[in-house]
Parts: sequence; C-alpha cells; structure tokens
Amino acid sequence: MRLGRGRIRAGLAFCAVIGLVAAPAATTGLAAAQLNVRAFSAGLGYEYLSRTVVWDGDTDASRLQASLVTARADFEFDNGIVFSLSAGLAPTDVAALTFNTLPIGLQYDGAPLTGFAFGAEAFAPIHQYSNFEISGTGRFVYSFGMEKTWPLEDFAVEGEAKGSLSWLEAAIGGRVSYLSFERIIPYLEISVRWLHAGFEMTETLGDLGGTETKRVDDLGFGVALGADADLTHRLGVKVKAGLVPYSGGVDGLVTVGLLYKF
Amino acid sequence: MTKPSGRSLKAAGVLLCAVCAAFGTGAASIERPLKRPSLSAARQARNFRVEGPVRRRPGAAYAPDRVLVRFRPGVDETYADGLLRSYGFPAVRRIPGIGVYSVKTAAGISVTETLAMLRRNGDVELARPDHRARLADVPDDAYFAGYQYALRNTGGILAITPYLQYQTTAGADIKATTAWDAVKGDAETVIAILDTGVDMTHPDLAGKIVSGGHDFANDDDDATDDHWHGTHVAGIAAAGTNNSTGIAGVAWNCRILPVKVTDQTGSGWYSWIIDGIVWAADHGADVINLSLGDLVDDPFLKDACRYAHDKGIIVVASAGNDGTEGVFYPAAYDEYVLAVAASDFNDTLAAFSSYGPEVDVAAPGVWILGPAPQWYVGTGALPYLFASGTSMAAPHVAGLAALIRSAKPDLTADDIMKIIRYTADDINHATAPGRDDHAGYGRINMAKALAPYIID
Repeated sequence: MRLGRGRIRAGLAFCAVIGLVAAPAATTGLAAAQLNVRAFSAGLGYEYLSRTVVWDGDTDASRLQASLVTARADFEFDNGIVFSLSAGLAPTDVAALTFNTLPIGLQYDGAPLTGFAFGAEAFAPIHQYSNFEISGTGRFVYSFGMEKTWPLEDFAVEGEAKGSLSWLEAAIGGRVSYLSFERIIPYLEISVRWLHAGFEMTETLGDLGGTETKRVDDLGFGVALGADADLTHRLGVKVKAGLVPYSGGVDGLVTVGLLYKF
Repeated sequence: MTKPSGRSLKAAGVLLCAVCAAFGTGAASIERPLKRPSLSAARQARNFRVEGPVRRRPGAAYAPDRVLVRFRPGVDETYADGLLRSYGFPAVRRIPGIGVYSVKTAAGISVTETLAMLRRNGDVELARPDHRARLADVPDDAYFAGYQYALRNTGGILAITPYLQYQTTAGADIKATTAWDAVKGDAETVIAILDTGVDMTHPDLAGKIVSGGHDFANDDDDATDDHWHGTHVAGIAAAGTNNSTGIAGVAWNCRILPVKVTDQTGSGWYSWIIDGIVWAADHGADVINLSLGDLVDDPFLKDACRYAHDKGIIVVASAGNDGTEGVFYPAAYDEYVLAVAASDFNDTLAAFSSYGPEVDVAAPGVWILGPAPQWYVGTGALPYLFASGTSMAAPHVAGLAALIRSAKPDLTADDIMKIIRYTADDINHATAPGRDDHAGYGRINMAKALAPYIID
C-alpha cells in the first residue's frame, strides 16, 4: 500500500512536470509543430542532491543526501523540446533519523541505503531575445526499493529492525541560456523543488513490535548555473551546480552527464 | 482504625500482617537501626558541591570529519597504518592499548561514505562514527551523587553511617542519568502509590502530589502517611528532582497520587487494597505501585489488578521479602502485574528477595535512601532514611514505567511491561543465563528502555 502510494505520487509528479513544461511551449505555437525526433542521445549521468528537512514529528532538522548514478536517454524533437529518461541506482543517506514512537526508539546512523531510481526531465524553449533564450524546465526523480534489516542486540530477547526508504523530488522552473558561443551554452536556472520522502521502520523484539513511518514534504527553490557543451560533434557534456537555500543554511545539487548523439 | 467495610467481607479474613519491606521478616531487621542518616552524613550533605544540570547541546550527533576504525585480530599494525593512508585520509592516529584508529575523512567525502568504504574492506572489524558524548542530565538534588547508587553508581563508598560502609560497583545501577537525557516524563503522568499514605508536606514531595488521594483504612479523602513506608516509596518513584533538595526520583517530572490502603501499623485488609486499585484506576493513575502483598491468592485481588491493567495502567508490585520461593500476591498475578525482586549496589540479588516463576525483573532494593515524615525521624533530623526491601525495588520500576508512558502514550500496558522486561540487564548471567526465577529478566536498565537504540 505504501509503495503503491509512492508510485502514484511519482506518476502524478511526472504528469505535472511534463504538463507544466509543455504548456508554455504550446502557447508559443511550438507544440503545434510536428513531434518528430530530431536527435537522440544516450549516456551516463551522476547527480548529487542534499536536502535539509524536518521530518514529521521531529523538532530538529536532518539531511537527506542522495547520489544517483543513472543511464540516460535524451530525445530532442523538431520543435526544440528535449525529453530525457533516466534509470539507475541511488544510495541515499538519512543520517541521525530517529524513530521515537517505536517500543524501543531507534536512531538510524547506518550506511546509505541503495535503491533504484528512475526519472524524467523535460526542456522546452519558450522565447528568444537576441542571444538569450528563455525556456521552461521540469524534472522528477523517484527512488524506491531501499530495504534493509538490522539485528537488535543486547536485549533479553532476539530482535530486528527492518527499514524501507523511498523518496521523490520534482522540480519545475525557468532557464535563461546564452547562445552566442559555438559549442557551449551556459545557463542560469531557477526552480521550485518539492521533495517527498517516507521511511518506514518496523521493529520486532520477541513478541513486542511496532511500525513507525516518518514522512516529509518539503518545498524549496534552487538556483543553479550550468552548461551544455559539445566536446565533439557526437559527444556532449551537461553539467550543473546549484544551491537550495533553507532556513539556517544551503543545500547543494550537482549534475554531470556524458551523452553520445546517434 | 476503622473496621473493614461490609462489601469486603470476603477478603476481610485475610490480614496483611507484613507489608513487604518494613513489615516483612527480612527487611524489618535491616531497616530498624537505620531510620535516618547519621549526623555526620548530614554534615557531609551540606558540604556537597552543587552543579546545575548539564543541558543537551545542539549539533551533530557525531564528528562530521572523523571516524573510528578497528582492524581484525592478526592484522599487522604497519599494514593497517599503510592501508589507512592508502585511502588518502589526511590524518590517522592510533589509540594505543585497544588498537583503534581515529581517522580524519578525506576532503569532500562524508562520514557515511567513509564508513561504507572501510566496511567493505575485509580486514576491518568495526568502523563507526565518532559520536558526540555529553554529560548526562544529572540532577542537583543534594543526596543524589553520594547516596543514590541505584540511579547512578560510580563505584564509590556507600556510607550509611561512619561504621556501616560498603564498596559499590560502578555501573550496578539502573542507568537513570542516560535515560533522563532522553526522557524526563511529564506532569500529566501519574503514579498511584498504594501504601501507608504519603507525607504530602514533605519538601521533596509537596510539589509532586496530584491530590489528597483517598484513605481506605479510615475511609476519608486524606491519604496522609501515619507510618513512613509510603512516603519513602513515593519518593523513590517520583521525588522532586533537580530541586536542590534531598533525593532525585526516578520519574523526574511525573506526579504522585497517594492512596492509603494500610493502617498506621503497616497492615491492611485485602479489601482496602482492592478498593484502592479500583479507585486509583478510576482517578487518573497511569501506573500503580504496590509495595505490599502476601502469600494468599485472592480472586478479587486478581480481578482488581485485571481491571487496572485492562484500563491501560501498568501495575507494579514487590515480590516479597521472605527470601524463599513464593512470590507475594498481587505481584504473582503474572498477566497483569510486574513482579519486582531486589538487587544491591553490586548487582547482586538481595538475600531477602522472594523468588519464583512470576518474578519479572529486579531493581535496587538494598540501602535505598528515601524521604520520611519529619515527625517520624524526629525534630532536627533530616527527613530521609535508608531502607531495604523489595518495597524499595518496586518504585524504581514504577518510575520507569511512568517515564515510558510519558514518552510513548500510545503503547499498551502489555507493551510497556515487555519493554521493561526485555531491556533488563541479566545480572546473574553467570549462574542463571537468561530469564530465571530470582532476577526475572534482570535488573532494569532505564537507558535501554528509553534512549534510542542506534542502528549503524
């Protein structure tokens, strides 16, 4: 049931992202053009993201950090819209998260949990002024399947804890690109970012047991600088680094992609 | 003393002639010469240095740039040094004696990534974050440090009088200070003390009393102590804590509901106890402490315990002070009541502690300092006394139950009973590993019951 709800959220986020990105393109008439694939690229991507959040029921903030290693495919259409799909692994760290309503409270200080991740990203040009282009961007990534069991030791009876983590991040925003360079397109991107995460911990200690699910929904905005560069006429690199400020500090995001054009 | 009420005639034939510690055969002989701390002890108490409580510091739970590592036995020191340096750690320091390395993480590599990397190496036995330690919450009560070994035993001398002193064993305690760092309880959680009454004017108790309670011995609403036992028991469970006065109670912030179920001699009819349990259950008790009992089984007494238990109340009772097989009732009502044996300052079971399959846990019950009515100790004497018995052990458990209830109000009474049992330390593991009839699951451990278990 929990996993199903997560997938529904992921689906809704996907639809929302695609819809919001495609809408501005449609208003400019670009969407009215044919949807033939103009270019196809595939490659590898790495992404690091951190979000400092306060989980429901907590008073202190803790940090969710994920490193995604994915295979990625980009489809560029005749109207300039680029649609990307990615899938891979996402080790995620939620250090010092506590589960206080379980019969024996648990504090998670373990190694990052590795799960699957899949995502989608869309880019749609909206308007061009001289050498500058304004475009809409949107993406979502959903990570799931992170499950692990730990023994609970030093009690009078045998016990174990079983944790299951999933998270979803969706972002939508605008990008201003500078087009006058021949092989590199630098850009500034501003986005609104929504993070939903759930960590279910089940504890069993002899005939005593309980389940606690920590959830968080967090909305932030990010500012990033990035560039899409052609190393050769077939090999391209996409890099982006940004900040996501929160009350009391900033989180970071880094994206690197290496793509081969077919 | 008023006569037993008519509705209690079924039980009226059974007189509780020995209300655990003070009234049992074993404890009475221990307690009597030790009614009050000696004058020398009192003078020492006034000279204690008093520090304020140490507060929790905000910040990371562990060092953000350092981990601790130990290699498997047989891994050569030179090899281990070289291996750690090969990872590119900027600083590696060996802590002599135990073969543990303190390692500074490489720039840009988090603690969790470093730990994951080290744990993948087959030569590494253990790699852990460098956790932040802090001084646990230590109350400033005047006699806490010197006399309350039960709550925190640092291994010093327990000086009852200048001539009666014991060497104690560090760690033979219920780990109260570590637990208080996590939970101090709240004032809404109420421990009913069914006993000889409570001295509601005592400086260490006055602020913790919920109401005048009820006196079933005299059938009125004034459960004032006309003995000393109930005042002592109430103080162990929930004396005013961190008030610079007297002792610390186990349940730091929880409050006391006095219910008088024995007369001034320390004896009471089962009917008074039955009435008391039901009354307490109906008047807001979250925990009921019964430092009393007898060997006579009574279905009505059992019914009363079931009534309280079914209302979510944790019922705690002393196992008895006969030192023989046979746990007192109501402690022996295994489904509904936690039966508590007594241990001492060396984590040894008290000789007077009764035993049997119904014993759930043990708690300190030898030379326990607690409050006593001023009129009882005499004018000019400190209103505290040392006493021994499973009567003194039970309120330690009642206090713990109240703290768990405060922290986790949604748990059932059964859940809380299990937590107390399963987190106990098996103090007689060498002679009777696992649960046994003398210590049950072991001496309670508040830290394990209340502080989070760390998964790493």
